[in-house]
This record gives sequence, C-alpha cells and structure tokens, in this order.
Amino acid sequence: MDSFAGFVSLSLVKATPLVFAALAGTICERAGILNIALEGALTVGAFAAVAVSFATGSPVLGLFAAVLAGIALCALLGIAATRFGVDQIVAGTGLNLLAAGGTAFGLVVVFGQPGASPEVHALGAGGEKALIVAAFVAAFVLQAVLDRTPWGLRVRACGENPRAVRSAGVDPRRVRVTATVVAGALAGIGGAFLSLGELDIYSDGMTAGRGFIALAAVIFGRWTPLGAAGAALAFGALSALQFVLQRAGVPSELMQALPYLAALAALTGIVGRARAPAADGVPLDERPAHIGRMAKGSVENRGD
Amino acid sequence: MSAALELHGVTKVYPGGVRAVDEVDLALEPGEIHALCGENGAGKSTLAQIAAGKISPTGGRVSGADRVGLVHQHFELVGRLRVWENVVLGREPRRGARIDAAAARERVRELARSYGLDVDPDAIVETLPVGVAQRVEIMRELAREPRVLVLDEPTAVLAPVEIDALFRTLETLAARGTAILVITHKLAEVLAHAERVTVVRAGRVVMRSLVAETSIDAIAHAMVGGTIPALAERARTDVVPAFVARDVAAGDGAHALREATFEVRGGEIVGIAGVEGNGQTALADAIAGVLPYRGTMSLNGRTLETLGAGARIGAGVRSIPQDRQREALVLDWSIAENVALGDHDRAPLRRGIAIDRRAENALATRIVERFDVRTPSIRTRAGALSGGNQQKVVVGRTLSGAPVFVVAFQPTRGIDVGATALVQSRLIEARNAGVAVLLVSFELDEVLALADRILVMYRGSIAGSFERGAFDRARIGALMAGA
Amino acid sequence: MTARMRPFAGPVTGAVALIVVAAAAMLLAGASPIAGFAALLRGALGGPHQVSETLVQTTSLLFPSLAVAFAFRAGLFNIGAEGQLVMGGLCAGLAGAALAVPGWVAIPLILFAGAAGGAAWGGVAGVLRARFGGNEVIATLMLNIIAALLANYLVVGPLHAPDATGAETSELPRSSWLPLLLPDSRLSVALLFGIALAVSLAYVFRSTAFGYALRAAGDAPEAARRAGIDLRRTALVAMALSGAIAGFGGATIVAGVLHRFNVALSPGYGFIAIAVALVGGLDPLWILVASFAFGILQSGSLSMQAYAHVPKDVVTFVEGLAILALATRRFVAPRTAGT
Repeated sequence: MDSFAGFVSLSLVKATPLVFAALAGTICERAGILNIALEGALTVGAFAAVAVSFATGSPVLGLFAAVLAGIALCALLGIAATRFGVDQIVAGTGLNLLAAGGTAFGLVVVFGQPGASPEVHALGAGGEKALIVAAFVAAFVLQAVLDRTPWGLRVRACGENPRAVRSAGVDPRRVRVTATVVAGALAGIGGAFLSLGELDIYSDGMTAGRGFIALAAVIFGRWTPLGAAGAALAFGALSALQFVLQRAGVPSELMQALPYLAALAALTGIVGRARAPAADGVPLDERPAHIGRMAKGSVENRGD
Repeated sequence: MSAALELHGVTKVYPGGVRAVDEVDLALEPGEIHALCGENGAGKSTLAQIAAGKISPTGGRVSGADRVGLVHQHFELVGRLRVWENVVLGREPRRGARIDAAAARERVRELARSYGLDVDPDAIVETLPVGVAQRVEIMRELAREPRVLVLDEPTAVLAPVEIDALFRTLETLAARGTAILVITHKLAEVLAHAERVTVVRAGRVVMRSLVAETSIDAIAHAMVGGTIPALAERARTDVVPAFVARDVAAGDGAHALREATFEVRGGEIVGIAGVEGNGQTALADAIAGVLPYRGTMSLNGRTLETLGAGARIGAGVRSIPQDRQREALVLDWSIAENVALGDHDRAPLRRGIAIDRRAENALATRIVERFDVRTPSIRTRAGALSGGNQQKVVVGRTLSGAPVFVVAFQPTRGIDVGATALVQSRLIEARNAGVAVLLVSFELDEVLALADRILVMYRGSIAGSFERGAFDRARIGALMAGA
Repeated sequence: MTARMRPFAGPVTGAVALIVVAAAAMLLAGASPIAGFAALLRGALGGPHQVSETLVQTTSLLFPSLAVAFAFRAGLFNIGAEGQLVMGGLCAGLAGAALAVPGWVAIPLILFAGAAGGAAWGGVAGVLRARFGGNEVIATLMLNIIAALLANYLVVGPLHAPDATGAETSELPRSSWLPLLLPDSRLSVALLFGIALAVSLAYVFRSTAFGYALRAAGDAPEAARRAGIDLRRTALVAMALSGAIAGFGGATIVAGVLHRFNVALSPGYGFIAIAVALVGGLDPLWILVASFAFGILQSGSLSMQAYAHVPKDVVTFVEGLAILALATRRFVAPRTAGT
C-alpha cells in the first residue's frame, strides 16, 4: 500500500520534535542536569516561532526566535541549578508552569485571543524536510561531539563527578550551563517544528507531553545521542501507527500512552537498563550517589 | 634560589568565625620534600587548599600558587572515564575540533615512564585499585608541569609497599626540581623521606625544623601542644564468646569480603588491621545488617540472619559507622533528635505511636555530659558541631544503648587529639564493662594501642591473628601488604 | 533533601516575593498592578460568595499540596500529584455514580475510592522506586499523562454519561454529595477534612516515630538505613500515602464541587501544589496558609481578567516564577567549613 510510504513519512514527522527534545535531554543529563523543563522549552519554542513569524512575516526568523526562547528557558534551569543551588526538579517544574502560563498569557497579549494563534507563515514542506534531516544529522553530530571533543569529555566528566572537573581546573558550572544552552537551542527547534513545520499555528497545550516522552527516550537510548534519537524515532512511529490502528478500533489513548508505559517499563530495568550518569540530577557540591543504590542497598538482610 | 611557593602571613577565617589558618608563613624551595604535620583540625587541609589556589585566604599573600598541583586525600577522579581522559581533562591535546587521543595516550605513557608510575592509559579508573588510582591523580597534576606538588594525606589509603613506591616517585620529582609538600600526621614517614618539617597547631605554625635536627617525640609534642591525654586503664576481664561469625562473605568486586570466620568475646577489643579497601567495609556493613551476606553470625548463641538492621540494634549489635556525616547523623537535625536515631522505634524512646521527647532530651543531655560534647545546647544542629563533637554524639549514642557487641569503624578518623583520647577511652571502658568490641581501623597504631587481639585483613580474608603481648608490628605490616 | 527544599527565610518572604513578581507580570501585560490586585482581591474576597469560592479553591489545592509535602519530607519527588488527583477523582466518580446506597454509606465509600485510586497511582511510582530503584520523578511525570489519557478514554468512551454534554461521568445522586458548609455555595465539609488532615500530618511529622522515620529517610537516607529504617518500604509507603492524600482531594472535588467526574477536574492543582508546598516550607500548617493564598490567586484570576484585563494565565506564570524564586533562597545561609 502506498500508505506504507505515508506511514514512514508520518513517523518521521512525528519523531522529529521528539528527536530534538531527546537530544536536548541527553546532553543535559550527560552533564548532570535532569531537565524536566524540556516540555516548557518545546512550548516556548513553538510559541516564539509563531509569534515572530506573525510579527515579521518570516518563518525563518521565527525559527531563530524559537532557538533563543528555548535557550532562555533551559539556561534559566542551568543557571538556577548551578549558581543558585535550586533543586533541578523543583526548578524544572517551576519553568514548566512558567512556560505554560507565559505562553497562554502571551497568546492574549500578542494575538489578542486565547487558546490558539491565527495562521501564520510556516516553514513549508521544504523547511519541514530540512528540519527532519537536521534532527538526525544533529544526533550524529552530538554523538561525535560527546565522544571526541574536549567539550564532550568535560560534559561527560561533569555528569559523573563535577568535583573532579573542578580539580582539573574546569568550572563545572560553566559546563553544565553550556549544556543547557545547547539543549535549549535543540528543544527550541523542536518546538518550532511543531508549530511552524508540521502546522502553521500555535495552540495551547500543543506540545502534549512530548518533553516528557523525550525524557523516556533518553532512558531508552541509554543516555547516548544516537540511542535517544533511535528511541524517539520508535516513539514517533508509535504515534504514526496510532492513526492506522485507530481505524482498526484500537483506542487512540492507548497508543498515545504507549511511550509513557514503555518509559515505566524502562524504569524497572526489565528491558535492560544502562547506568545513568552518576551525577545526573545531583547538585554540584554533593558527591554523587547512584540512584539505584538506595534500592539495592536497603535489601533487608536474610543471609542465604 | 627563589622559593617555588611562598605564603606570607596567610590567614583564613571561615564565615562562622572559625580561624582555620592564622598568620602562617611558609616557603618551599625547589627540589625539597617538605612535611606539613599537625593533628586533625589543625588547619593542614585548609592550608593545602590555599597553597594550591583552590580557596582564597582572608588575609596575607601567596605567591606561586598558579603552579601548584594538589593531590587530594579522597581522589577527585571521574570513575567511569579512562585514565588518559582523566589525565588530560581540562587541557586536552587537540587535532582540529577533536581530542587527539593518540597524543593523550602517549602523554600518559611518557609520564608513566619518566616517573615510574605504572598505569594503563586505557583502563577505566573505577576498576583500578586505590594505589593505582592515586597514581592517576598524581599524573593528572604532573601533566600540568607544576613547580610545587601538594599531597594531602597521600599515604592514608596505601599499603606499606605502595607507600615506598610513592616516595620513590616523589624523590624522582624532587630531584628534577619540583617542590613537594606532604601533609601527614604519620610521623615515621616524615622522618624517613622529608628534609624539612613544619608543624601547625590550631591554625598556627608551632615548629619548623630540619628533619635531621629533630625527633618523632619533639614533633609529636609540638603537634599536640603538651602531653597526649592518657587512655583509660585496661582492666582484667573475664572473656566469654559473644559474637561469632562463620564463613561470612559479602559484597562484590575488589572490595568484597571473601571469607571471614572469627569470634569477638565479651570484654575484649578485637582490632581489624588492614589497608582501606580490603573488605573491612563489607564486613562492617554485613554485621550491621545493611549488606546481604553468605555464612552465619550469632550473638550470645542467637542467630542474627533473620534480623534486619533495626532488629540487630535492638538485639545489642550497635555500630559506629565510618562516615559519621552521611551514615550516622542527620546533619540538619538537633543533637536531641539525632540521639534517638536507631532507637526511635522501641521503648523507652517510643511510647505508643509517639516519640517521647522527654526521654529523648534526657538521653541527649546524658550523652552531652558523659561524652563531653562541646555544644551550646542539645537543640544545636548536629551539622554545626565540629567533627570531634559530632563523633562524640555518635559514640555516645552507640555506647548508651546497652550494647552487647560494638563495631567501631575508624572511630577517631579526622578528629582532634582530645576527642580521640575520649573516644578510645570510652571504648576501653565499654570493654572493661564486658562489651564485645570490634575495632576496624586503617591506622595500625590505633589498633596496636587498643586491641586485645588483632586480625589482619587482606583482599577480603583474614590473613593473620595476633594476641596482645605477641603483637609483631613488622609481621602485621607485611601481612597487610599481602606478604 | 528536604532541608534543601525549605525556603530558609520562611513563608513571609515567600509571600512578599510572590506579590512583587505578580506586579511585575501585570506591568508586562500593560495593566496597572494596583487595578489588577484590586480586581483580584475583589474577585477573591469581595463578598461572601467570593470568599466561599476562594475557600473551594483553597480546599482543592490543600490536598495535593499536603501530598507533595508528605512525599518531599520523605525525600521523594512526587511530581505526580496531578495524576493521583485525577485518578482519585475518577475512582470517586465511578464509585459515586454506581452506588445506590444512603449518603452516610456512600460518602465514605466514595472518599475511600478516591484515596485508593490515588494511592494505587502513587504506589506504582513507589514500587518502581522501591523495587527497581527507578527515578520517581520520571515515573510520576509519566503517570500523570497516563492518568489523563486513561480518564479521557474512559469518560469519552465506555463510561461516558448518556446525559452529559462534556467528557464526564453520570451525576452522583444528591444524597452522595458532601454536605455544604455554607448554603448556596460550593463550599463543602471537605475544607474541614483538609484542615484536620493538615493538623494530623503536622503531628505525625513532629511527634510520631513514623514521621521521624520518614524524615530521617528524606534527610539522611544512609544514616536512616543503618538505623533500621527500611528505605524501600518507606519509599513505597510514602508514595502510596502521598497518592492517597491527593486522590482523596480529587474525590472531594467530585463529591463536593462537581458532583461527577469531569476530565477538566483539575486546572493543574497537582503542579501548583508544588509551589504551595514550597511556599509553605513543607510544614503542613503553613501549607494551610499557603493554600489560602494560592486559593485567592486562583479564584481572583478570572475577575482580574474581566475587570483589569490581565489574562488569568498570569497567575500560572507567577506560580512558576514563585517556585524558582523561592527555591533560589535556599543555600544562602553560610555553611561552616569542616576540616
């Protein structure tokens, strides 16, 4: 059926924002920041893209604005977590609320109407394709950067033991903040793809939890860019499959829930779990302890 | 020749008002090995951090700190990265945008050759034994070609042979013109390898001398600032078996406990001698009931396998853990709340569903008095106490709970002379009163001073046993190193 | 962990910070902060009806906020109060619509169903954490979305009420509605339940051995473990109880306010609850006060939109900023250096 080609292309379209967000999540976690504000970063990216395209008539400027918006949001997380000692999860939750409230509020301020923006100039089919390709190129590039460049080495070290990074004469705060900046840019592009690539409007709640699916993809991808992109692609295919199976009577909610259910399964480690970076989510001045340690260590002694 | 590093009138006052370092002058000459000695809490580590430019002094002047390498007591390495990655971190050789991995490996090999530090550049650091990991940390510092190398308690985790290897490396370095500052409280090492010695006490320099012109006694006297407080008398006790371990094995990896069979009798202190990382932690954790093990343990004939950590405390197995800040105390809580930890779930501290605050306060007051905890009040945060006073709270809690068997893991680590004497005396008194005590210490001197019987641990097994009166320091040292 | 989370300067500074941030946001929207606050306060406190509506919002926020604080005190990040609230509401709505028994039987069952639903949802995260060491942040985030999807599926699909216009279940029989505190209002006895719960939790944390163990597990897990506190059981119990509290809150919305389950049951109470819990310094009694403050924001925001032309979403924005600003204040106290 020609719908197979349609399925593949729909999968790619559905996967692309997830790939961007998952790469953003990976780079943050490798540097030791558990970025739950990805959802917010996608949201502000999608909104900024449409707002700027609306104001200037240029979707390219819109894309640019999305990058800046994503950077602003994620860098706030990085700065709050490294300079002000705010707990990463708390800060991430705050930023998500901030993004949701700010964009809903912005819709009224910029477009004078709540709920959704009017149609604006979008990136078009060419732009959409370019971003799809860019997402997968970014995965390879990021993998190479992480594995082979000095910055990549510092990021990896920072996610494992920031104190060692400091002893080596590198400021781990800077490393973590730059990681959030890179992540913000990626997530911003992901957001712009949602509003200006796939569609030509912004509407409240359009990110629909993709930032959280991305976190699941990071775990599935075992904290590597290529793995995360692969997982994001699989999740994209799942959501494309939803349109096919819906006609067969499978509830769409079940299909939508699959990535989240899969993420829960990943947390059990039954499907095989790699070790998370030791200092993932750990503030800079604390010695990292493995997340799994608590559960393992507290095994009641029965001898055997 | 101009000094490699000079400190003039350096003072460090911490925000709480603690004067950690007070008007210190210190000059290091190129090519010398200089020992900086002092008791715990004397300000040595702060001074090292200042010398290495890691923290800035609140007064005085430092020159030359930009060329100082610092080797930490607890290594600051990234366990999951390779040796070469750790060594070049922050100063990576590049080829275009990429790290030149070949050049980095070659750099490590070259360092290894020229200083006799045998390390595989591609090994993953967390798989290395401590002694090798320390070489990686030294290499990382040497890669920056420092004029001064500061080592903070470098021998604390090393076996005697490794200590010799370390000093050979340091002597090579010194011969090539690097100034070496070794911070230590082990005086024998000072006399064997250093040329000059500076002693600090309470943040001030109290003695400077050429090693050739002084003695261990003089240095010890300067460190303590008087005579060392006497320990409690060791009374004659009737010993009866209390704790028995048979074929106990626990943990995995290099630091696992492979096999231990021994008994600790009421009224005796059994000392475990050994270098850190030879299974002591797994042994203590297994006894405390926080690490699964194979084999059997019993206390006064009662088997312990069915008891979890809490029930073991109830049965009289009580521990002084090695890391008091993480494993023994809740730093954000008051002393009073802390003394209930472990006993919060049984009488007399628990009444019905509630914790009896009056009993808790009474216990805290008793501990503060009997164990000489220097604190404004029992409401003071545990985290606000000095290390010595924190340890007194922990020891007080452990010994006040009617113990039958006490595991004391490095009970005097990082605390001052006065607190050390108090803790050691209280352990001896507990022994005199019939308590079975298992003392685990990485300081052979402490084990020799306190134990009635010494078991040497090496690679997770008991390598030898010595009765008091037949302690053979050289033989024990050799067994600790695996001879 | 919880010590890091307590705003060190206390709830008063928190409130001041909030007001300043809110004023700035109103200026950003081109509105006068004075007019904005006036409209907000009028809308929230301007008369008996407004006050009762504010108390309805207070109640709805109180339960999830206590839930969040409960888990936080035990060292667990429950970001999933939203999902637990929804599941609690869903179970309560299904139970309520199905039960044809007198109110004095039905109401306790409905509330129990809500608590059970929330506990199950929180318990999943608890099991993942306790059994597998899975990060509860990720788990609760995922469970939030799964709860929303599940509720949506059931209410739009198999359990859709024939008489309903929206995505909701059938209406509860009148006898199963929670008694009102004020006639002609939506304010039910749920507020009293909430106050009683806050007071009980304060007692649990301050005085009981159970609360002591929970706090120890949160503040120093390694020390707690060596003191015989089973961290796995604590994680499971804390997450389940936290979920039960949030689920109970969902049930009170169903039985006390909406009288049926609707997918739009919560405008994000479970997330706002994190801000409330932080503002309240994780102390149940202060959380009571903070819930009232946030209740004012929630209930006044519509009036602010209508009369001062400040979009109501400014409140969400401010709440997000509040979390950041408040959390930032920790750590400022100097730490004494150890040697």
